[in-house]
Amino acid sequence: MSEQLLAAVSQYGAPALFGIVAIAALGVPLPITLLLIVSGAMVSQGAMNLWWTIGAAGVGSILGDQAGYAIGRWGGGVAVSKLGRLLGKRSRLEAMEAKARVWGGPGIFLTRWLISALGPWINLASGTAGYPWHRFVFWDALGEFTGAVLYISLGRFFSDHVMALYAVLGDLTWAVAALLIAIVLGYQLLVHLRREHLR
Amino acid sequence: MWRTTLTVGLAFVLAIAGTFVFGYRAGRQARLLHFENEPIRPWMSVPFIAHTHHVPTSVLFQAIGVEPREPHDRRSVRRIARETNRPVPELMAELQRAINVASHSPGGPPP
Repeated sequence: MSEQLLAAVSQYGAPALFGIVAIAALGVPLPITLLLIVSGAMVSQGAMNLWWTIGAAGVGSILGDQAGYAIGRWGGGVAVSKLGRLLGKRSRLEAMEAKARVWGGPGIFLTRWLISALGPWINLASGTAGYPWHRFVFWDALGEFTGAVLYISLGRFFSDHVMALYAVLGDLTWAVAALLIAIVLGYQLLVHLRREHLR
Repeated sequence: MWRTTLTVGLAFVLAIAGTFVFGYRAGRQARLLHFENEPIRPWMSVPFIAHTHHVPTSVLFQAIGVEPREPHDRRSVRRIARETNRPVPELMAELQRAINVASHSPGGPPP
């Protein structure tokens, strides 16, 4: 599957990228980071235009995200449960709803490009939780364009080592995610220890 | 209460360990970025392979005996193999041989 998508972007350029990122934003697991890096490499080869590529990646993702949000907000129970089934368990959506309320804008921003696997969940959960649409659009656009510019620029810079760069970014993402979890757990541990000390 | 603290503590240690393990792996692979050659994949187009290996595109098209389409031939290796009725691994091997020859020629690959 990844091979066909990479070949499509390699041959048809920005229009193919636009369609693929929009579908991925709805929850279909596709290797978007790799596609953006490869697109960046193609920009450096002169096969794709930089601004069209960033525009296609950003706008395509935003449209897909908006569709996910709209289903959560106005799609009703049937549509939500159908998309929820595509994404996984119902309990997971409820957990994401709670997270969407707590994390708000920064959560939407980070799940566009850093923890992108959670992106489709946050779209749906933001809709069902009634997160204000204008704020969702703002954080969504900011995050999607940050991701597009970041990964396409990396692909341009390391255009002759795209697969190796993808492997580095994969490990780096896990490292950052583990660090964020460690910070949250470290804070909780501190709170627990203080409570026990006060007893 | 102490059970919760212990569980959170263990999870914290695991998360720290994960940070170091993945950070180390990322760092090790990043160091190799400039030294390892990109392997040829079936989704890659001939110009893409030529760029990643710093070899002229015309040399690779010539090596596999394919006339490039105008103005830009961005067909993947898999598609060229299908259109020319040849196995993908054979085409990839031919491209790799051409890259090796171009890299070791007196002039060497262009920077």
